[in-house]
Amino acid sequence: MVAMMQNPLRPTSPLRLVDAPPEPSSTAPEATIRVENLSIVFDVPRGEVIAVDRVSLAVMPGEFVSLVGPSGCGKSTLLNAMAGLERPFEGEVMVAGKPMLAPRPDIGMVFQQPHLFPWKSVRRNIAHGPRALGKSKTEALRIADDLIEMIGLTKFASSYPHTLSGGMQQRVAIARALANQPRVLLMDEPFGALDAQTRAVMQDNLLELRDRINATIVFVTHDIDEAILLSDRVLIMSAGPGRILRDLSVGLPRPRSSAILTDPAYLALKRDCLDLIRTEGRKAFEQMEAVT
Amino acid sequence: MSTGGHNRATTAGRLSVLVGALSVPAFVGVWELIARSRIVNAVLFPPPSTVAVAVLDWIHSGQFFGDLSASLFRVTVGFLIGTTGGIMLGVLTGRFRLVSSLLSPLFHILRPIPPIAFVPIVILWFGLSEAGKLFLVVWGVFFTVWLATHIGVQKVDRGLIRAALMLGTPRRQMLSEIILLGALPYIVVGLRTAVSISFYTLVAAELAGAFAGIVYRIEIAQQNMQTGQVMGGLAALGLLSFVADRSFAAIAERAVWWR
Repeated sequence: MVAMMQNPLRPTSPLRLVDAPPEPSSTAPEATIRVENLSIVFDVPRGEVIAVDRVSLAVMPGEFVSLVGPSGCGKSTLLNAMAGLERPFEGEVMVAGKPMLAPRPDIGMVFQQPHLFPWKSVRRNIAHGPRALGKSKTEALRIADDLIEMIGLTKFASSYPHTLSGGMQQRVAIARALANQPRVLLMDEPFGALDAQTRAVMQDNLLELRDRINATIVFVTHDIDEAILLSDRVLIMSAGPGRILRDLSVGLPRPRSSAILTDPAYLALKRDCLDLIRTEGRKAFEQMEAVT
Repeated sequence: MSTGGHNRATTAGRLSVLVGALSVPAFVGVWELIARSRIVNAVLFPPPSTVAVAVLDWIHSGQFFGDLSASLFRVTVGFLIGTTGGIMLGVLTGRFRLVSSLLSPLFHILRPIPPIAFVPIVILWFGLSEAGKLFLVVWGVFFTVWLATHIGVQKVDRGLIRAALMLGTPRRQMLSEIILLGALPYIVVGLRTAVSISFYTLVAAELAGAFAGIVYRIEIAQQNMQTGQVMGGLAALGLLSFVADRSFAAIAERAVWWR
């Protein structure tokens, strides 16, 4: 299905993956998400672990930014801080000009696991957010029905989550996060638990979906293909303590499809990214070895 | 699979149904034979026919329904109060660390004391009143349901709680929906155990002194050497708690409706 799609890229298309110009965050007052000098420290039995180390970044309205890095590099922790699920140890996270101290309904989140409410049908799961925010039942269900149509699960509206496949459950989770019309959508390896085929379909779905919603999206993944395919900007993180190593703009035209993943120019650039990540991964591994 | 194998399986299935249906009648028949054969003392070990007559007399005298409703009242009301309290406190101790620090050590000390051991103090506190009997049932049921709920609440998927938080779920709905339903599978197991416990404690409560009730009737019959009535009472109690357990199992299966 993916292979049958036409390659949207002409041979002359500007396929670039370049360092974004260094941007002092103070010159971006209109940023939707602004992370200033953020550090997050966890207490562990043997002392403290610095999960995120003095990270600063800005995400512009409507931008799709991926955080990529080896496992344990603190990318999920950074995302949780943007969600208000993790408190800063130092520094600050501002979303829409307000510091993040607790979860807020204008920020939606999709986790690696769907975490659907097992006692609710698909429809009621999606309606949960609007209901929680005080919308009438009719209004909430209308929002849910629209979203169910958008994710193509109309037939399953009254099904319970456990009867759905992993990919379908994750689509419901995305719809549920969108039901509150969030300004920001945070996605923590949302396709990480899915098989390769389903993941490819989900990526295409997300590309389509992105054009229909106007949320700013931050997407955590360790899959560099996924990051480049989906994002405007890829932030590559270093191994613990988590820092942002490179900030790469993806100069690929939209709309995109997974067909770009086989383009030779793209592959050369991807190799550079992988080398960077591999070096970092090895560093993290050696650090872990040194500790144990 | 061959037709022969299929037939054999069906025959074996029919045979086991037949044997199952004969289980109780065969037991009653053997009991009748032994009791009438004078191998045993028929006064102490009356045949089922004598027990049946005693039960019929019990029903005809009009006492049976009074006893039944007295016992059912104690079990039902005690169960409802004890389990409601157990669920409420279980949600609180399971969810709030401070409440747990305050109450859990106390509950863990009180929980292992068999409720029957409270009979003497209950008589001092409540005399022979209904309140004392309810107290024993409530006490017996409470800790089991509290512990099941407490554990269930702590086992609620953290991801589910985070998802609910991100969707703006208000605090109250978090407790009454996400936490409570998330813990429901555990709570239901606790409730089912509580059904049998409420019957155990009913026995203690009625032996402690009552004016009606199935166990009370058993005790009176024992004092009058009416062994048929004693056994009839036991059978009624067994049947009652069996029906209660089975009906609860049927309800429990539907309680976790999304499975």
